[in-house]
Amino acid sequence: MTPDMFFLLASILFSIGLVGLVSRKNLFVLYMSIELMLSSVSLLLATLSKVLDDTSGSVMALLMIGVIAAEAAVFLAMIIHLYRENRTIDSDTFHTLSQGENNA
Amino acid sequence: MLEISIFSILALFMIGGSIAMISNKQTVFAAFGFLVAMIALAGLFAMLNSQFLAIAQILVSVGAVVVLSMLTILTVNAQSKSLPQEPNKTKWIILTSILVAPFTILLYKTLTTLPDHFSTMETINTKVLGKEMFSHWVLPFEILSILLLSAMVGAIVIARKSKKKEDNTTQTNSRERSRP
Repeated sequence: MTPDMFFLLASILFSIGLVGLVSRKNLFVLYMSIELMLSSVSLLLATLSKVLDDTSGSVMALLMIGVIAAEAAVFLAMIIHLYRENRTIDSDTFHTLSQGENNA
Repeated sequence: MLEISIFSILALFMIGGSIAMISNKQTVFAAFGFLVAMIALAGLFAMLNSQFLAIAQILVSVGAVVVLSMLTILTVNAQSKSLPQEPNKTKWIILTSILVAPFTILLYKTLTTLPDHFSTMETINTKVLGKEMFSHWVLPFEILSILLLSAMVGAIVIARKSKKKEDNTTQTNSRERSRP
């Protein structure tokens, strides 16, 4: 078991999250893709903590799990709010900031 | 040999779960894929000898985050007309994967410049982790607790039903009523 395998896995996971974030329109899938990217970074931190013989990496990964939980709470509340206002979870509906009110 | 086979199984679950997550049409099944990925990630933390991280991952990510998102998905109960129309979903996913592949290779090549063997350190147990966290990482820990508190308050404020519209309609109604 070498660190390279963990590095490869973390890179692949980050990329899968990026692909999901770019190619899907469902707000829930976007949210889970962001969580996956954050989790891959936390896996990378834990791996580096063992490679470099330093506990700080593990502490950072632990703090990151807390950040992920905070992000989940706010994002899910936001999805509920958006669904209540617009009755849709399609991310293409919310384009006021990119295309202006006229095209809505 | 045993370690490599366990790692392969966990990695397979993790990648399979994440691919199921981004490619499934049903949102609940996507959440199940995410659940599988998070449990496999806890197993990977355990393989890295950080037991406390594995337990925290199970407790927080699986026990709180995934369950909360599944509950939200089920209570929002979006009808099929409020779901996004994605007829070319598979095509888009494949196209984006091709675009992202060079970035993945670059990331991997950058990371492999680090030492290619694990240090022979003992298990990162709770004692070591706690000592490190409450000696050098006290400030980030406190900031994180404030972040969690503000996220909680923010979530309550955002998800609260907005009374603005109802107030406006009642005001206009009362005005109309008082007009004659």
